[in-house]
Amino acid sequence: MDISLLAQFTVNGLMLGMMYALVAVGFTLFFGVLDIIVFSHGDVVMVGAFAALTGHYWLTGIYPDMSMWVELFFISCISIITVAAFGMIMAKTMILRLRSASPLNTLLATMMLGTVLREAVRLFFPGGSNPKPFPVLLPDISASFGDFTLRFDSVILFVLGALLIVSLHLLITKTKLGMAIRAVAQDEETARLMGVNFTLIVLITFAIGSAVAAFAGVMNGLYYNEINFGMGLLLGAIGFSAAIIGGLGNIYGAILGGFLFAGLQTLGAVAMPFASAYKDVFAFGVVILIMAWKPTGLIAEKTSERV
Amino acid sequence: MQRALSIRNVYTAYGKADVLSGVDIEILPKKITCLLGSNGAGKSTLIRSILGLTPPREGEIIFEGLPISGHPTHSVVAKGIACIPEGRRVFPKMTVKDNLLMGAYLESSEKKIKMNMGKVFEIFPRLEERQEQLAGTMSGGEQAMVSIGRGLMSSPKLLIIDEPSLGLSPALVSENFRIIRKINDAGTAVFLVEQNVRQTLAISHYGYVLSQGRVTAQGTAEELKTSDEVQQAYFG
Ligand SMILES: Nc1ncnc2c1ncn2[C@@H]1O[C@H](COP(=O)(O)OP(=O)(O)OP(=O)(O)O)[C@@H](O)[C@H]1O
Ligand SMILES: [Mg+2]
Repeated sequence: MDISLLAQFTVNGLMLGMMYALVAVGFTLFFGVLDIIVFSHGDVVMVGAFAALTGHYWLTGIYPDMSMWVELFFISCISIITVAAFGMIMAKTMILRLRSASPLNTLLATMMLGTVLREAVRLFFPGGSNPKPFPVLLPDISASFGDFTLRFDSVILFVLGALLIVSLHLLITKTKLGMAIRAVAQDEETARLMGVNFTLIVLITFAIGSAVAAFAGVMNGLYYNEINFGMGLLLGAIGFSAAIIGGLGNIYGAILGGFLFAGLQTLGAVAMPFASAYKDVFAFGVVILIMAWKPTGLIAEKTSERV
Repeated sequence: MQRALSIRNVYTAYGKADVLSGVDIEILPKKITCLLGSNGAGKSTLIRSILGLTPPREGEIIFEGLPISGHPTHSVVAKGIACIPEGRRVFPKMTVKDNLLMGAYLESSEKKIKMNMGKVFEIFPRLEERQEQLAGTMSGGEQAMVSIGRGLMSSPKLLIIDEPSLGLSPALVSENFRIIRKINDAGTAVFLVEQNVRQTLAISHYGYVLSQGRVTAQGTAEELKTSDEVQQAYFG
């Protein structure tokens, strides 16, 4: 295969990997603090994208000639704040209440919540049952190297995503809040004995995980210039898989898993150019094999730091 | 009589069955109060009740004149009570230093944290050498040091210790008792739960015997040493 095509695939793969990593981080954070799977997390990404779109309608209605950068900043803030608040409310009213029941009940309840979110957007968002165009808010510049085109907007999105992941890393490893989150993940009861307000830490963790998902939603919209009510379904399945391959509870594992999954998809598309529609089948198939080979994830619990 | 913590007529249950049925205990300020009792007597349950991990279904717990029963654990701890839990419970994937810092979670003054860490390192020089080691990779004895050190990091008014010598060699056990004595000499009230009767009574001022969720004997350490209950149960 020629080099420019390879470069193109690599760049696309990295973009997808970043989005998957951002979704997977949420799954792994929630599992870290509460030992549960929040199945609606993919649909929360979708809500993030639609919240940003709503922000776009609203803002351009008031200030029609706002600059792209300013608008991007504001609709990202709107999306992140709305979705973070949603995550906290979900944790408070539903997930913390389900703690006394089996984790399976949480799985089921959040699965149903995902359906509710999807259907609510489909039915109540104006024209929600059709794909919606997402505003173009990044300069349409690109550089060409032979057949390979590097889009400037992809570079920006990738850098923003990387910055978000680095901030999250610093938050978890260097701050007192991060230490409390790690303590709760390792031993909830002892964390409480040290004076950690468990409920508060859980709510903050849900705010953080949901905010990151909202950003992934905005990123998705900007990258594809289109969003739809069902986009969270596959993203959720992929984010969950990525978190599992990385060893649930491990943030770095989840990030690695996200990029690995994107790599598999890309590999599938490259290896089977005649049937690139099968790239997901290929990627999920490999995930199943990885799970059978390393049931506790690629990064073993012993050497890895959970959350 | 002045008291640090009063436990009055406390009933605590897991599910339906009562594990504690009407416990009355007074913990004295600046003294070591011990609680003896065989396996399953409800000693750890009593500690969980004090700290709000398993709140009592009936009765009162009063710390420095204010009720704390039913309060969430973090607000009980904020009042100046620290706990060295049964089984050490170090955070395995945190370094020794971070474990100690967790002990000072509610302390906002950097200066105080530094000072307390200095004190802990004075008691356990080993911890200073191993600051950066993950606590989960330490030996059992070293983990006991981490757990005790962590309990001292908040300079608590009352320190509750649940079976600190479990699983330690006799030499380490004696060392542990010496350290508890030292902590108490510095003015901290200690509530000590132990099975090691002889050494516990040797350092305690006052003690209680718990049996099947009820206090069956109490008295000064001297009185308990000669009491029938203790003689029968432990020395008989
Ligand atoms: N989480 C729990 N759920 C149900 N029952 C429990 C629970 N924890 C303790 N128990 C029961 O309560 C009783 C008292 O247990 P507790 O741990 O308080 O005993 P203990 O005096 O601390 O014993 P040991 O000396 O062995 O530590 C036991 O019969 C135990 O089985
Ligand atoms: Mg016990």
